[in-house]
Amino acid sequence: MSQPTEIHTLAGAYALDALTEIERAAFARHVAECSSCAIEVAELNETASRLSAPLWETPPARLRESVLAEVGRTHQALPGRVERAPADGVVRRWRRWTAAAVAAGVVAIGGVATVWTVEQTRIDDLRQQAASGQADQNRLNAILAVGDARIRTSSVGPAGRMTVVVSPSLGDGVVLMSNLPPLPAGRTYQAWLIAGREATSVGVMPEGAQSGSATLAQIGSADTVGVTVEPAGGSKRPTSDPIGTVPLV
Amino acid sequence: LRAPQSRGKAGSVGRHANRGGDPGWQPAGPANTAPLGPDELLRQVARGDEQAFAALYDAIAPRVFGLAKRVLRDSAQAEEVAQEALVEVWRTAARFDASKGSATSWVLTITHRRAVDRVRSAQAGADRERRVAAASVETPYDDVVEEVTTNLEQQQVRRCLKGLTDLQREAITLAYYDGYTYREVAEKLDTALPTIKTRMRDGLIRLRDCLGVELGSAKGVTG
Repeated sequence: MSQPTEIHTLAGAYALDALTEIERAAFARHVAECSSCAIEVAELNETASRLSAPLWETPPARLRESVLAEVGRTHQALPGRVERAPADGVVRRWRRWTAAAVAAGVVAIGGVATVWTVEQTRIDDLRQQAASGQADQNRLNAILAVGDARIRTSSVGPAGRMTVVVSPSLGDGVVLMSNLPPLPAGRTYQAWLIAGREATSVGVMPEGAQSGSATLAQIGSADTVGVTVEPAGGSKRPTSDPIGTVPLV
Repeated sequence: LRAPQSRGKAGSVGRHANRGGDPGWQPAGPANTAPLGPDELLRQVARGDEQAFAALYDAIAPRVFGLAKRVLRDSAQAEEVAQEALVEVWRTAARFDASKGSATSWVLTITHRRAVDRVRSAQAGADRERRVAAASVETPYDDVVEEVTTNLEQQQVRRCLKGLTDLQREAITLAYYDGYTYREVAEKLDTALPTIKTRMRDGLIRLRDCLGVELGSAKGVTG
């Protein structure tokens, strides 16, 4: 079990981006609650960035054109804005949970078994929403602290990634996704626990979200976690082949 | 305000003698009419100023590209990651908080995170392993030792890295230059996890002191 003070020893690894996503989120939450830590972390982060000074290299000229062209058609985010989701019943529940889940780092628990969270791992965003129950943090720590926790990752699309952290002894886990390919309007990502030909939904992302996480509370005999593209709002069972899978065994 | 290439080049001329760039990217030399530093440029970018973004690009793209290329060990992927990172800079510029560090550091943090995210995705990671294996063995900070440079910050970084213990230096360079997690670093160096965590932190603290990093000074660049 990590002690509350012990997490701070991760400050160096955090500044070097040497943490997994879950640890990164847990640490960011720690920093959000500890102003003296925040100064050290900011300084170490600044220090780490200096390490890139010797790597200076002129990029190809086409990069400039390409970046400026994309910038010309890209809207800017407002300060501190969290991604919006449409407000139907399901999404309202998501949104209610999202704030707590974001503050917890990745996971929230309660009446609903699974929760997607808009990925907001930046300290800024965590700070704004750092008002979550201790239970969330305990659960996150519990999964990470168990000796048999396993972490597996698969690519999804050009830049996307699915990471599953599972503790067989707890029968419990988390799936994290980031940078999934953008989807057309009306489509959304849904994650499933798959046992043979049976798939059980573990969460539907808000429309437009490309990152999120869900808890895997009832792993049972499932051998795979998969993510599919579904109509917005999600489906009862998958209507397409998974675009990404991570084996559990 | 500028022709894309010529002004971009001109922007670099002023700091040609220190092409590695300095932390605050203060105007260096008389070449231009007092070019703005990245912090001020980023502030203008946050207000939607595309010309300021172009100037910021010229100031910082070589750092972004060089870092992405070092982590990914692949030029094409480095270009993609550099583009993603720079567009994210444009998109989220309003979230930059100068009290937490310099604009340069903020941009490089975004870049580094995207680069390690990609390298840790299974396929890219495996590809990189092959490229690393195929490349001759080299320690990260020696990569560029042959590069002729008079840049003060580059020299300072090398000198300060040499001032670390071997374990501190190896832990930090494997994580930052190669994108390994601290668990992977612990495995590679055959060292206990808590030791690696500690060495990363105390090594960075030593580097911070050696490089004279102060948030106040980073902020001071832009007032």
